[in-house]
Amino acid sequence: MKISLDKPRVLFVIVLIIGLVTYQSISAQDVSNGTATANVQTALTVVATQDLQFGTVFQGVAKTVANDDAASAGIFTITGSPAAGISAYITLPQYIATASGDDRMNIAFQTSDLSIDTTSNADPSTFGDGWADVDPNNVPNGLVIGSDATSHTMLFLGGRVIPSVDQLAGAYSGNIIVTVAYNGM
Amino acid sequence: MKKYSLVLFFCLIFLSAHLSAQNVTVNNNLTFGTVFPGIPKTISKTTAGLAAEFYVSGTAGNEVTIDFALPTYMNLGASNMQLIFRETDCAIDTSATPDQSSPEFNNLDPWHTLTYRIGSNGLYIWLGGIIVPGLTQTEGSYSSNIVITVTYTGN
Repeated sequence: MKISLDKPRVLFVIVLIIGLVTYQSISAQDVSNGTATANVQTALTVVATQDLQFGTVFQGVAKTVANDDAASAGIFTITGSPAAGISAYITLPQYIATASGDDRMNIAFQTSDLSIDTTSNADPSTFGDGWADVDPNNVPNGLVIGSDATSHTMLFLGGRVIPSVDQLAGAYSGNIIVTVAYNGM
Repeated sequence: MKKYSLVLFFCLIFLSAHLSAQNVTVNNNLTFGTVFPGIPKTISKTTAGLAAEFYVSGTAGNEVTIDFALPTYMNLGASNMQLIFRETDCAIDTSATPDQSSPEFNNLDPWHTLTYRIGSNGLYIWLGGIIVPGLTQTEGSYSSNIVITVTYTGN
């Protein structure tokens, strides 16, 4: 059998093959890569920078520490992403106790015993900006980390201890728990 | 020669009609933006500019299958962050006037093959998702790939 390979026929076959191959490869499937992205901010931390210290206390004599007392006020440092919204909750004790637990002393917090400073200021006696003299049992909404683009917000806490007339001598302590969380604002 | 040329001409016409049967492009990536540790964040498929948007071009009326290869984590070096796609996180619009806020086919499952016909204005696909950062999630920019495969069924 003789196959004629004249030019038009060869050209036609070549074009047809190329066309079919191209058709299969181009039209069969297409793949594209998208991306999911997210920018995670700094993790939120809170540190008790300074304990609320009443120092020496006498039986039957109540003692108050103001929230602007640089040496004795409780100081908590909250660190996170600047300008991020946070929520805070403070669990306050009703009494402080000896290490052995054989005596307790009442401790009270007034509705103005907390100041929240959203500047970089860490000194209770030189309050910068934020919420001054608010209720530690009801921390305000709308808290932010660092109103001046710093990454810190400070809590300054005062309080009052009320020793009884027959209070046992010794060292007393209690826990103050500060809980903070981003609120996504 | 005339006969061959005629056949060749119709072959080329046929091929040219199908060479662009479908092509998928990424119009917008899935963008979660700023995320805080411990606070999950959801991007709705109907949120323009944040939801992922893919566009399939091709011959109107052609049927295609759409398959996603979806990540379950976003990564930053060795740090992972959980990424969730629910079975309603995808939407498609093949109409002449695609509308992301009110898509023609809503609440589709991106984990399964989707089969639709390309419309007169192509085919738009939108994809949302949820990320779940941990409380101590490492700070930084996370990313992961979303692979979409569009296949012409021949129907």
